[in-house]
Amino acid sequence: MELHILEHSLKVASIEKEGIQICTHGLMKLAFLASKTRCKFFSLTETPEDYTIIVDEEGFKELPQSDLISVADATWLALNVVSGGGNASSSQPIGVTKIAKSVIAPLADHNISVFMLSTYQTDFILVRERDLPMVMHTLSSEFTLLRVVNGETVAAHDLGVTNGFVKPKLVPRPIIHPLSSPSNMFCVTSLDPDTLPSVATLLMDVMFYSGGSKELGTSSEDSSHIRFFSFSLIEGYISLVMDEQTAQRFPNNVLFTSASGELWKMVRIGGQPLGFDECGIVAQISEPLATADIPAYYISTFKFDHALVPEENIQSVIKALRTESAAQ
Amino acid sequence: MSGSKPDILWSPHHPDRYVICDSELGLYRIGPVGGTETKPGTLPLSEETAATLLAINSDTPYMKCVAWYPKHEPECLLAVGQANGRVVLTSLGQSHNSTCKELVGKEFVPKHARQCNTLAWNPVDNNLLAAGLDKHRADFSVLIWDISSKFAPETSVAAEKIRISTVDLDSSMVVTKPLYELGQNDACLSLCWLFRDPKLLLAGMHRNLAIFDLRNTSQKMFVNTKAIQGVTVDPHFHDRVASFFEGQVAIWDLRKFEKPVLTLTEQSKPLTKVAWCPTRTGLLATLTRDSNVIRLYDMQHTPTPIGDETEPTIIERSVQPCESQIGSFAWHPSSQNRMVVVSATNRVMTDFTVFERISLAWSSTTSLMWACGRHLYDCAEDSAEGAESTVEKDIATKMRERAQSRYGHDTLQVWRNHLLAGGNDPQLKSLWYDLSYILYVSHMKQCAEDMELKLQGNKQSLVYSGIKNIIRTSSGTTESRRCWIGSDRQTDVPRFSSEERCLALRLCGWISRGPDIDVETFLRSLEQEREWERAAAIALFNLDIRRAIQILNKGATMEKGDLNLNVVAMALSGYTDEKSSLWREMCSSLRLQLKNPYLCIMFAFLTSEPGAYDGVLYESSVAVRDRVAFACMFLSDAQLPHYIDKLTNEMKEAGNLEGILLTGLTKDGVDLMESFVDRTGDVQTASFCTLKGSPGEVLKDPRVQCWIENYRNLLDAWRFWHKRAEFDILRGKLDPSSKPLAQVFVSCNFCGKSISYSCSAMPHQGRGFSQYGVSGSPTKSKVTSCPGCRKPLPRCALCLMNMGTPVSSCSGPGKSDEKVDLTRENKLSQFNNWFTWCHNCRHGGHAGHMLSWFRDHTECPVSACTCKCMQLDTTGNLVPADSS
Repeated sequence: MELHILEHSLKVASIEKEGIQICTHGLMKLAFLASKTRCKFFSLTETPEDYTIIVDEEGFKELPQSDLISVADATWLALNVVSGGGNASSSQPIGVTKIAKSVIAPLADHNISVFMLSTYQTDFILVRERDLPMVMHTLSSEFTLLRVVNGETVAAHDLGVTNGFVKPKLVPRPIIHPLSSPSNMFCVTSLDPDTLPSVATLLMDVMFYSGGSKELGTSSEDSSHIRFFSFSLIEGYISLVMDEQTAQRFPNNVLFTSASGELWKMVRIGGQPLGFDECGIVAQISEPLATADIPAYYISTFKFDHALVPEENIQSVIKALRTESAAQ
Repeated sequence: MSGSKPDILWSPHHPDRYVICDSELGLYRIGPVGGTETKPGTLPLSEETAATLLAINSDTPYMKCVAWYPKHEPECLLAVGQANGRVVLTSLGQSHNSTCKELVGKEFVPKHARQCNTLAWNPVDNNLLAAGLDKHRADFSVLIWDISSKFAPETSVAAEKIRISTVDLDSSMVVTKPLYELGQNDACLSLCWLFRDPKLLLAGMHRNLAIFDLRNTSQKMFVNTKAIQGVTVDPHFHDRVASFFEGQVAIWDLRKFEKPVLTLTEQSKPLTKVAWCPTRTGLLATLTRDSNVIRLYDMQHTPTPIGDETEPTIIERSVQPCESQIGSFAWHPSSQNRMVVVSATNRVMTDFTVFERISLAWSSTTSLMWACGRHLYDCAEDSAEGAESTVEKDIATKMRERAQSRYGHDTLQVWRNHLLAGGNDPQLKSLWYDLSYILYVSHMKQCAEDMELKLQGNKQSLVYSGIKNIIRTSSGTTESRRCWIGSDRQTDVPRFSSEERCLALRLCGWISRGPDIDVETFLRSLEQEREWERAAAIALFNLDIRRAIQILNKGATMEKGDLNLNVVAMALSGYTDEKSSLWREMCSSLRLQLKNPYLCIMFAFLTSEPGAYDGVLYESSVAVRDRVAFACMFLSDAQLPHYIDKLTNEMKEAGNLEGILLTGLTKDGVDLMESFVDRTGDVQTASFCTLKGSPGEVLKDPRVQCWIENYRNLLDAWRFWHKRAEFDILRGKLDPSSKPLAQVFVSCNFCGKSISYSCSAMPHQGRGFSQYGVSGSPTKSKVTSCPGCRKPLPRCALCLMNMGTPVSSCSGPGKSDEKVDLTRENKLSQFNNWFTWCHNCRHGGHAGHMLSWFRDHTECPVSACTCKCMQLDTTGNLVPADSS
């Protein structure tokens, strides 16, 4: 298995709901006019609380400075797992489940905080730039580490720092944050970048304007609708996460829908903002799912984390996670 | 195709049909421009061809790629890859017959939707359609569909789950289970099946090129590269593959797949299409974005076998099929070098044929060949011997023919060389006669101690230096007025004579020896050659008007003679020296109408004032020798050098060989020869001529050496090796400095000293050995040991005798016969005794033995030596063209 350390230097920012107007120009440019910027990595996720932006340094220049925008101080690097592909097991689980044991758990054991972004195409594991030596040290046994430099993939060398690292303590990870599961169902999809202009107005409407009218409360009550929409444009690939109702507003054949047309339900993690320093949150969720072999997407935002699991599995997921939680 | 980027596909079976796909599919038929009226709906593609739109299909939105079903039936079935990864079979312009119906409308749906980048039908197993998709997590990116599969087994499950899919489809037409799934966790940007095995699929994946084998799908061969777009196999060379990345094309050899065998020069703009020409080997066409030219790379030249790293030579050129920017192009599948080009916008199409590069080669024997496309043209010179060809033969042909007739080699009768040259070139004739006179006079001077005795010594070389120099040294000219011969009438024509003038006349060939000017011999020879007018003129200039009339009369009465000569004779007989006579008046005006220049100058002479003979001297159609001889007789010391100088310069400028008479074989003569060679290219004549009569310093002239070397090279190029050897021998005789020094010595294995005669004959060696082995006579060549150290010479690998032993002649049937044979054999085949050896394996022996061995064998005669000695000699198998 290969672990690619991508070259993007990423910033994670949060825009207050009322601050979105001042940012729309920049965001639209990043989302729809990619050729006008040098941005290669852009993700916008709307939650009931805020808009979370993950963007590389080139893209960050497009955003204005404002009190309504808070930026996490660290610079983040994106990791991407590429499996060799040789093994023809077609029933491989997707999403964080695949990497839960190989990447997420070891990082949690070493007290490295991660920030997850699942897209239609792949999963990105964001780590702080300053943690990179530790990350490489932790993962070098399991992965071929490759670093992307100017578009070329080259072998990344372990920086050789071994002293001073704490021995990992292999302790059970109970779930410590409250969980909630909104009632609406989501689809994870994509579209052809060439057709993006034809649905641009619809997307703008979904991104910036539809929030107010459909607001159904921001509390994390169970069985309530949640406002959640994610758009990302990373190295030319578009990924969309939206609820079923929103998806139906798109014309036929524009969205990539899988043959089976799965739908996903969300598990929302955190009662109050999680912050960036606590480690092991992703691991707490993904490990039980991996054990149960349930596929999952995982999207971290500025304040909370979100896991998406197949709708038919939601009950067993909740059950499994509650068990973990109860074990505390 | 998102509207902006069109593509073209030629029908695999109908050479006149193609499909343009942009936002929809359009089927066109190409044909000649309608004879009388262009039908509405036809679009002109070129001056000769036009296209008719046959059908349009706009059923499939979001087209990304299209591939034409390669089977005959159904003939117009297309697979369309869509933006969401679905592959749809559709058809164009077909009445939906039964075979088609089963397939058209069939959809192949991947598990996870993502863009379909490329499609490829298997060229042999036509049911297989490979689709290359974008990356989706851990899913497969290369799916191979079997279009004949009925429906997906888990349709029931799928149908239940399809909730977002809003396309209403007959679920039996949807296939969701591919036959093969390849390229997990990767993206596929381009695909092509390999011709060398239809189970092999080459795919341009994300950052690598991979070859999948359907017989073992868990294995793949791959190489990391960025050049992963547009993989395409050379249809003429199944191991050669092209792929590209941005502006750079990489050419791969599948047998050595680790790195590209070469990369083509990078373009500033990204490439959009790369295609091998199906009708010509090694021709690759590339197109970049926003460009109105198609760049062609011609990879005809195989790399040289020396050194693995040498890149093959590529000829790069650009063609511009149309004014507008090109959207895409497609080679015609069978028409030579033809393509259809579609513009980037508005679907403007152009039918275009790439003009083949012409390669041209001259043979050394004047024939010219050129190749264009599949045609080879040979242009040989008309060898019509019988009919007088109107076009003069090329000088190379002439020289070749002359070399064959031993032109230049007649050293006894030098003048005869012009006959060897064909005898129809007046300049050559004049040249060889000049040389003949020069040599004759110089010869006379050398052996005969006659009147010229006093000229000998300091003026010995004067004969070579031409009349120009002879006249310059002239002194003691006497002037005389003589009577017309046969009448006592005094002429008022002064005649000049001196020794030098006399010598000049001899060089002109008028007289054979001086000092008496007696032209009678010369006149007779002219009469024999039936040169009546010339003889008459010369007789007249010698003031023998009666003889002149007699000659003309003779000419008129001869068989086939010109009766007009009698008329001229009559006119001549009326000569009067009366200044104002009617005769004189009429002759001076009417003579200009005479066609023969000699008749013309006769009257010019008679009607001129003494000393003013421009009518004679500047009559350019009269031979130079006659004009010069005339000048020597009738021009004063003041006039003569002036005239000669003027004439000399004229000759030099024109490169007229007749001028050699004036310049001789001096530096002036070389100048003249130079302009002759510049004009004609005849290095053969120049070489022989300068060799013939020249004293040493002329031969040292670099120009002369250049002509000689060029002539030798020409002979070599014609494989006239014997002629060249003959020429070298002749050259060695005439110019001893040209003899090459011995360059090869045979040295003894033991003492390292040369065993050849020339060395051992050196005084300090003090040995009396005359000849060892090499070209030795049978009696003396018995010495089989080194003269230096007495050790034996190596043995011949065939007869096992020590070298130095003469080759034994095979036993003849009878003793008397043998004896005759022996002498002949020994003379003819001394070469048989020569040492020869292979420079590679160092085995050898008698030349004769070796030659006969290699007539039947390819390998060295020494057992266990596998050296193919004779084949290493690249010229060894050439046969001289003049084997005579």
